[in-house]
Order: sequence, then C-alpha cells, then structure tokens
Amino acid sequence: MHSKAVGKTPYPPGDFAVWIIIYVELITFGLLFLGYALSRRANIEMFNHSQQMLETTSGFINTLLLVTSSYFVAKAVIAIQNMTHNNHKESNKEASKWLLFAMLLGASFLVNKMFEFSYIFGEGITLSTNKFFMFYLLLTGFHFMHVLLGSVILFNIFQKTRIYGYTVEEHKGIVSGALYWHMVDFLWIVLFPLVYIIR
Amino acid sequence: MRRTLEIIWIVLVALSIFAYLLGDLHYINNFFVAILLVTTFIKVQLVLNHFMELKNVTGKYRWIPSIWLTIVISLIAVAYYLPVK
Repeated sequence: MHSKAVGKTPYPPGDFAVWIIIYVELITFGLLFLGYALSRRANIEMFNHSQQMLETTSGFINTLLLVTSSYFVAKAVIAIQNMTHNNHKESNKEASKWLLFAMLLGASFLVNKMFEFSYIFGEGITLSTNKFFMFYLLLTGFHFMHVLLGSVILFNIFQKTRIYGYTVEEHKGIVSGALYWHMVDFLWIVLFPLVYIIR
Repeated sequence: MRRTLEIIWIVLVALSIFAYLLGDLHYINNFFVAILLVTTFIKVQLVLNHFMELKNVTGKYRWIPSIWLTIVISLIAVAYYLPVK
C-alpha cells in the first residue's frame, strides 16, 4: 500500500491470503446487514422502539476511534513503504509510534463497547429478547471479536517494528495486517448508521 | 499530495459527525436516510481507495469490494424504501 510508484498494478496490496479472508468477511457481514434490513421490514415499530435503548453517542465515539486508528495504521504503512536502506531503523520506529496510537484507540473501542454491552445485559436483554437485539448482539458481538483479533494482529506488527523487523525488501506483513484493520473499520462504518441511526 | 491521508481522515470524521447529528434528530425521514446511505457509501469507498490503496489497483481486485458495497447499500435502501404490505 501507499507505494511510491505512480503506476497501477493488477494485484491488490499485501498477501493475497488476507484478501481471501476479507472477501469471506464481506459475504458474512453483507448477509447479516441484509438480514437486519429485511427483518426490520417485518416489524418496523419494534425495531424503532428497541433502537431507542441504544446509546448513539457511544456508537459515534466508536466510529471516531476506529476511523482515526485506521488513519494511524495507514501512516504506519507509509512510514515503512517510504523506507530506504539508509533510514531502516527510523522508519520502523516511526511505524511503531503510529501503531501504538492505533492500538490505544482499538483498546478504547473495546472498552467502550464492553460498557455498552454491560448496560444492555444489565437491562436483561439477551439474544432471544427480540429480533432487533438478536441482530444487534450478533452484529456488534461478531464485530467486537474482529476488533479483538485485529488488535492482536496490530500488536504483532508493532512488536516486529520494535525489533526493526521490516526491511525495504520485506514488509508484506505490515501491509496485510493493516488491510485487516481497515476492513474492521469499514464494516463498522456500515454497521453504525444501519443499527444505531436509521429508523 | 502528501496530505491526502489527512484530508481523507478529516472527511471521514466530518461525515461521521454529520451522521451522528442526523441520528440525533427526533424524526428521520426518507430523505435523511438516503443521505445517510450515500455518505456511508462515500466513507467506505474512501477507506478502500486511500487507506487500502485500491486506487492503485486495476481490474477485478479493485472492484470486488466496491461491487459488494454497492450491492449491500442498494439492498438496504430497497429494504427500507419498498412499501410494506
């Protein structure tokens, strides 16, 4: 990603395996989004009423956290891709700094979401309360697990930058990890208005 | 050119604030939902093109996520706007 080369390439950035994972996630989340939208048609009143129990501000804060952490990860990738043989250590250090910021925001997302879940569960809401909350818990719970996995991936990339592990020749790992994190970000960008706002 | 990522981030934050303010309205009508869906499409496309750098890719690998996005947003719109019997 963020190659200095101006020319276009027929292949996507990163390892192709991460794209296979992204395509599978797109299908899975796509079906859940559509399942939510179609189920809402069958009971609009109940969906609108249940949605009022959600804390929109919490969802909005989480949107800002993910969008900004995605930006930090993109900056980390640029730092590595602009690396030359002369500034190998400095580039890894810069990427490390951006990744640390991104991880802090990812962790903030998880903490904020746990507060939201604890409020929802405290109200006695479960998967079987109604269809709105079934989709809400499935979508946000499944997404939560992806943020968790994304955070583990970011931490591994971060560790590698700390030992100056990325080189001019080999830095596909950071690009692939970043792609996964961006996917987690844009899935939330669709999820937030769909579940929290549209009524 | 060097500030592209910063501009993209500012646009993403601005559109997110806009969506939040719309959500704060007591009554969201069909027009606002259309605006929300269009801004959601734009936000995801910005992430795909600039953060994931698909703008530098030609052919199917550039378009697969965009086609997914178009289908998902369009079907959400259909589910929302199609009259309920």
